[in-house]
Amino acid sequence: MTNVRGFKRGGVSTVSRIHYHSEPIENAFLPMNALLLLRENQFSVEAKPVVSEGQEVKEGQLVARGYGKNSSHVHSPIPGIVRRIGKTVTPDGYETTSIVISLEGSFSVLGKRPERYLWRSLNKTDISHIIQDKGLMRVSTGEPLHQIISDCSKRDGIIIAVNALEMDQYRRVEEEIMLRRINDVVDACAIAARMVKPDRIVFMIDTDFPKAQIPVIMLAAAQTELEISVERFQRRFPQDLPRQIAIALGLKDDSSLCILEPSTLVVLHDAIVSNKPHIEQYVYIGGGAMKAPVILKARIGTTIGDLIEECGGFSGQPDRICINDPYRGLAAADLDVPLTRSTRAVLALTKHETKPASERPCNRCGNCLRACPEGLHPYLLNKLLLADKIEEAFAAGLGRCTFCGACAYTCWSRIPLVERFKSVCLKDKSR
Amino acid sequence: MKSIPETNLTAPHIHDWHTTSKAAWICSATLMPVVMASVLLYGMPAVSVWIASLIGAILAETLVAVALKKLSLSDGSSVLTSLLVACAIPPGAPFYIPVSASLFAILGIKTVFGGLGSNWMNPALGGIAFAYANWPNAMRRFMLPSGMVNIDGLSASTPLDVARNFNGTEASRVMDAFRTVGYPLSDIDITVTGFLNDSLFSHLGARLPEGYVDLIIGLKPGTLGESTLLAVLAGSIVLLAFNLIKLEIPLGMIVAFSILSRIFGTGLPGEELFGGDILFALSSGGFMLATFYMATDPVTSPVDHRLAGLYGLGIGALAFIFRRWGAHAEGIVYAILVMNILVPTVERKLMPGLKASERATVL
Ligand code: SF4
Ligand code: SF4
Repeated sequence: MTNVRGFKRGGVSTVSRIHYHSEPIENAFLPMNALLLLRENQFSVEAKPVVSEGQEVKEGQLVARGYGKNSSHVHSPIPGIVRRIGKTVTPDGYETTSIVISLEGSFSVLGKRPERYLWRSLNKTDISHIIQDKGLMRVSTGEPLHQIISDCSKRDGIIIAVNALEMDQYRRVEEEIMLRRINDVVDACAIAARMVKPDRIVFMIDTDFPKAQIPVIMLAAAQTELEISVERFQRRFPQDLPRQIAIALGLKDDSSLCILEPSTLVVLHDAIVSNKPHIEQYVYIGGGAMKAPVILKARIGTTIGDLIEECGGFSGQPDRICINDPYRGLAAADLDVPLTRSTRAVLALTKHETKPASERPCNRCGNCLRACPEGLHPYLLNKLLLADKIEEAFAAGLGRCTFCGACAYTCWSRIPLVERFKSVCLKDKSR
Repeated sequence: MKSIPETNLTAPHIHDWHTTSKAAWICSATLMPVVMASVLLYGMPAVSVWIASLIGAILAETLVAVALKKLSLSDGSSVLTSLLVACAIPPGAPFYIPVSASLFAILGIKTVFGGLGSNWMNPALGGIAFAYANWPNAMRRFMLPSGMVNIDGLSASTPLDVARNFNGTEASRVMDAFRTVGYPLSDIDITVTGFLNDSLFSHLGARLPEGYVDLIIGLKPGTLGESTLLAVLAGSIVLLAFNLIKLEIPLGMIVAFSILSRIFGTGLPGEELFGGDILFALSSGGFMLATFYMATDPVTSPVDHRLAGLYGLGIGALAFIFRRWGAHAEGIVYAILVMNILVPTVERKLMPGLKASERATVL
């Protein structure tokens, strides 16, 4: 535990972090209108609405049913009336059906005491049903959780990696959950372990994580029969990619990893123990255009504008609003983008942070080469793509690009390297 | 609530602080100690060269702006180029030399090859080579810095020339040769060297010969940039601290050049093999300035850091060969130009991270 792990080459050091004043996490206000997207991202399949406009819904009631792979159920985050079922464009630019619910009536989940299930009496099938029924999602990727768990339970020698790493300067959601809800996280590990039957469980924390908390984790772990260890990682982006985690843990590849974040685990815990669907999410709201970063527990469907307002509004002029990771995340086109089950952060970034500059020709500074964790030659790939030599670019390794964005972050000439790679790879897939 | 302006909304949303133009401006700023030192040493003749060279750059940019309808003066690269061109010109050179050298550097090399990023040859070096080719005599006519005494016109030759043209019979060390021919020593040198010997070297059982301090602080005839080594080093520390240059290049150059200088020396009559004077070799010509400011130009050096080290070693070796056995006293400019030309070939053969078959098709 004394040695610090990390991937082998490349990456961006993110040692200097934005200060966050740790405080008990508050519940955000319920939104007046909740906008539910029935499709999480480009890979997911839309859920079908099971309610109609004008219908009254309870908090936590099923409003759309997922069918098949990459599709999950959607529940109403608030009690109210279904105002509209229409079309919306997701932040990553895909059209999806959406449901707008207006707040009305009384609470059931928030207002009442959570039901305490003795989950130990539940068997594998029950748990699996609950995970699917409650529409749980892996927060980092927006994949349905039941799918991941059932995938992993079919394989042997799985390692559950509890990924509390947030390798950018801003986000702290996972760290805060580890500090505040460690018992729930460990409980959820035990629930997941019952399904997956892992060889061992690894808690991944970074070198900034308060050392005093490690014995607390071990204490909570000791109350289960699980083999839990804690590994510390260097603060270097992009540590949270499966391949990078596998390298750092000394594994051959990532096929034996079941990566779950603390934020996913607390949702799992709440679903099994308190019977709560995935209608809430911990979200970090920060960036230079906000007064100070805040972590809120907010309902899915709340618009990011509401969240920002609740945190006191902008204190500076935002240059762009970014959802999740500032390296790979999406930019919000406006403030009406809703919180989804895979939103962990909303960053209002000022010009001071985005540091925009006009794109210039590559001057061969070599920064991208040093930053690429995959050992690719981003400047060369870019040159080949600009010359329309797509085959050659794939020969030079474009297919291995993980779109982490480290190269474009360091580029002196502000060449949108990763964006270019992504669009070519997407086109290539659809060919 | 303030609205979000429409921007180019692609990830990543945050960036490192470096930009190409910031790098060029910082680089130009780090040359200011050199500029100031040269003005202190030479006065107006130095000022006129700096200004003429800048005028050349502004003229070139104006012509480009008119012809191509794009103004790129603000990216700082032409200013940097013109400063570097001026560094290689002796003070007091007629104004048309710096003007046309930087015009040629920017128009003839940078713009013709397609603007910043596409030139395989370092524009500043191209401009300097152009000046050497057209005005060989004026480019080698040096002035005495103020504070140096003239003796029989000897002291208007650079230290390198003095060492090359030494025709006495007995001198195994460069500084002995200088004293034999009566090369002047400044009071500063005598004081500082005396102090160092008394307080430091005497305890170590060594003695520093007089003359090096003059070389380092610039009391020697030379071009604008090569005169004050201290100023060059001050600027290069900033370059390295801001991560603007690949450290491997100066490292490789200094290692190769020092080792070869140690082995083969300057060619004095009494000199032994492995008896060369590294300190003299590094401090006498324009080697250090070229090392930190010209060889490190990213556009014309290898993009990969490992190859950059190799490139540095190559320049160091060539620079020594040209200086020791070449036609002129200083060959660093040509050494860099030769290696610039070799960069694409070397990358095609050796670029790490690609298989040999891939290199052939993609590079
Ligand atoms: S986005 Fe692709 S090319 Fe760029 S650093 Fe990441 S893996 Fe390398
Ligand atoms: S970081 Fe940008 S400017 Fe530097 S070599 Fe890579 S692509 Fe070129």
